[in-house]
Amino acid sequence: MAALLIKNFLRTKGFIFGLLILFLSGLTSLYIGKHFLEKNHEIVKKTAHFQQENIDRYVQNTKEMGSLLYYIRFGLSNQASNLAGLSIGQRDINPAVMSVTIRNLQEQKYNTDLMNPMYQLIGNLDFSFVLLYLFPLIIIAFGFNLVSEEKEEGTWSLVLSQAISPLKMLLIKMGIRYVSVLAVLLLLFFIAKLYLQISFDVAFIAYIVNSLLYVSFWFCAVWLVVSFHKNSSQNALILLTSWVLLTIVIPASVNAAIVHLYPAPEAFSTVLESRDGYHTKWDKPKEPTIQKFYQRYPQFAQFKHPDEADYSTLWYYAMQQAGDDEAATQANALKEKLRKRDALSTTIGLVIPTIHTQLMLNSLSLSDMRNYLNFNEKLQEFHERKKLYFFPKMFSNVPILQENWKIFPLEYFQDKADVQWLRAILPLLIISMLCVLWAQKNFIKNNTLNRHL
Amino acid sequence: MRFTILKILSRQVLISTLKNKSTIVLIGIFNILIIAALFSGYSAFRQQQASVKDHSHEVRERWENNPDKHPHRMAHYGYVVFRQKFPLSFFDFGMDSYLGNAVFLEAHRQNTVNFSEASLSNGLLRFGEISAGMILQVLLPLLLFFWGFDLIARERENGTLRILLTQGISWPELIVGKALGLFYLSLSIFTPAIVIGFILLASNNSGLHNSQAFGQFSVLITSYLVYLSIISLLAVYVSAQSSSSKAALIKLIGCWLVFTLILPKISQVAGQSLFPSPSKIAFDTKVEEELISQGDSHNPNDPHYKALKDSLLRAYNVDSTHKLPFNYGGYVMREGERLSAEVYNRHQEKLVSIYQQQQNAVRLTALINPFLAIKNLSMALAGTDYNTYNDFQNQVEAYRYKQAQAMNELQIKLISNKIKSSSDKSSAVSSQYWKDFPDFDYHFLSFTQVFGKEIIAIISLIIWVVGLFFLIKTTSTHLKAF
Repeated sequence: MAALLIKNFLRTKGFIFGLLILFLSGLTSLYIGKHFLEKNHEIVKKTAHFQQENIDRYVQNTKEMGSLLYYIRFGLSNQASNLAGLSIGQRDINPAVMSVTIRNLQEQKYNTDLMNPMYQLIGNLDFSFVLLYLFPLIIIAFGFNLVSEEKEEGTWSLVLSQAISPLKMLLIKMGIRYVSVLAVLLLLFFIAKLYLQISFDVAFIAYIVNSLLYVSFWFCAVWLVVSFHKNSSQNALILLTSWVLLTIVIPASVNAAIVHLYPAPEAFSTVLESRDGYHTKWDKPKEPTIQKFYQRYPQFAQFKHPDEADYSTLWYYAMQQAGDDEAATQANALKEKLRKRDALSTTIGLVIPTIHTQLMLNSLSLSDMRNYLNFNEKLQEFHERKKLYFFPKMFSNVPILQENWKIFPLEYFQDKADVQWLRAILPLLIISMLCVLWAQKNFIKNNTLNRHL
Repeated sequence: MRFTILKILSRQVLISTLKNKSTIVLIGIFNILIIAALFSGYSAFRQQQASVKDHSHEVRERWENNPDKHPHRMAHYGYVVFRQKFPLSFFDFGMDSYLGNAVFLEAHRQNTVNFSEASLSNGLLRFGEISAGMILQVLLPLLLFFWGFDLIARERENGTLRILLTQGISWPELIVGKALGLFYLSLSIFTPAIVIGFILLASNNSGLHNSQAFGQFSVLITSYLVYLSIISLLAVYVSAQSSSSKAALIKLIGCWLVFTLILPKISQVAGQSLFPSPSKIAFDTKVEEELISQGDSHNPNDPHYKALKDSLLRAYNVDSTHKLPFNYGGYVMREGERLSAEVYNRHQEKLVSIYQQQQNAVRLTALINPFLAIKNLSMALAGTDYNTYNDFQNQVEAYRYKQAQAMNELQIKLISNKIKSSSDKSSAVSSQYWKDFPDFDYHFLSFTQVFGKEIIAIISLIIWVVGLFFLIKTTSTHLKAF
């Protein structure tokens, strides 16, 4: 029986075609992922090269430490995991590298990369898109008429008279489809591993498990719908509506609600505060600005602004510091808002498989908002470190050539995926189980369990 | 084609579809969805509008309240511009969420426009956004396909098709008549959306732009009507073409997927690989290299600036820049600003033209994809497309340049050559000059500018209508009655 069903499946042109579509679109997505990773790599490489060139040039042409550091930039790269080739996530929006001077950070940290917004709007055809959108469609096409087809073609009574129970036969039919789709999925992962050189670590395993569970969820959903014994077009309608709701309408509504719940006017205020915090100091008495700076950095109290001098490096960087300090409240509030947005959508994701899977995959691929926020924190630390290193040298005007300028290459931030197995697996598992249990109840009600001789 | 027949056929479609309870439910759901989208879009628009207004007001106030000072300090104090949305943007969000909203303007450098909604989002945004435009472009066609897939195939399966045809109804009449019925059905969702949209548009008193917004709204309505008739015709034509209603449904859903999801993404990939665009670092490097090769205004021995100095000294017949009748430092800075802005603008134009080429790769597919045609057209009319944004960027840069040069002019005219530092008290010029410098006055693209850029979309919508009618006329002789 099972052998016959497999044979039947393999002989049906539509099924092979469906699997082929999944495979080919999967390959395309891997190509796009590869392209993305290469471009990303190129940006990092170019930045590293340009940074040294930039430093060397200014070191040659500048006379004072203070003005040299006005110009030169230090870069911190937000290293992409190769998994980002599977889920590009927010990485095509947030810059891969930030290059900053030691002047105030607020005026630099929000700078964006150059991107064609039309492309961001249309979105990437990355692997997570294929998984989230196309896999369910093919699964629906494979299963929506599992029962109704037999009924509509008049073979259902034949099924009922077979030696095995109807449910068992349906299970075998569904099983064949399940295994064949999983086979394509695993084959794609195998190719991805080699092609994108993904290391076989916890994050990748979690990525695979999550994808398998997502695919399983859709099979369970189809199983549930066919258990109602409705006709083919009703099944198709129900499943497609669920697909539209889960992949388009619900996530978009959730997003709109979150933006509405947590508006971020702080973004605009941050710009104004940091600008005024710094620039207005030029026209104010120098003493208070410098005193504030001493309070912030008592270790630099030994450095003095020369009496009656119009300008000093100390005063200049004290003004810059004021820009960051006065914007700090707004900037922190903004960060807090973003964390809240992220937390709420993660929570809602627990009951919406598509949202959950997308956010999970992005987070495992280090291409989500948390990675961006982590990176920003690291950037702040990095900036602080550079300031603390150069401040005393600038304030005491150490000759430029006393410094070894070869030791300031591009630095790298390697975020680590935080794999929380229960949180990753349970939501999908529970929803899938519920579908199966409900389906079981329906099958019992519809007398599908036993043979009718 | 007889109109009475079309009328009868379309009424029959309307009545029989509306008899189904699920139709009413679906119409209800769609109406709720679209009205919710309109209201939430509108409230977000109002919020943004108020926020932009407040913050811009504050920017202006802070600018004007600056004390007397050296004008170059003012050039560095600079300005902040926030992007305004077009009054119609609530109808179709387009790429609004991916566009920057705030830009800091200062002398010597062009900053990026920051804080796009996308940069503040955690990835949910990438599932798409629900706006009235999106519902009409993406979801409504799917609904029409559901209503329309069996309009002829079912009649064929039931054997009633033969009866219709033997009564003297021609194939084109049958297809167009049924499509008309489907089109009427779509109006049950489209009309409320338009009415509410109109009321919301009217309730927002945005002054000058309003008449233009209404003009664009009426073109928008016409375009959507054309789009919906294309979808209706397509649904019924495929239904007539297919051997069974099941086959028709599969074909139509396939079309929908290819139109709304697959083709846009594929054309995007093609555009990106055909016309690679530079990263920020590559862009900045090129600009900087060119600027260095042009001369360094800070270096007194730089050949370009040395030549400038020598020619000035000769012209005014003096032996030192201190003796020039105007401020030499300001003069040099004006020249530096001119050169650097020129270089930047040249590169920026090149970048924009690469983006345009990339987008044209997507635009051209509108010829085979009516969804992209309406998407582009709708975005342009709602003022949420790239051209509107690019125009904003150009206006911002023009304002930045004007401001920096105005400050340089003040320095050239009013500040003595003897002054060594901007902190010298006698270098301060009156704060009246800040007040006299005009505020950033943003104006939207004119109607013809909007329209001109979307010719491809308009042509492709027309081609689709004409093409479908042509197909119906020519291929209907091969269609089977049973």
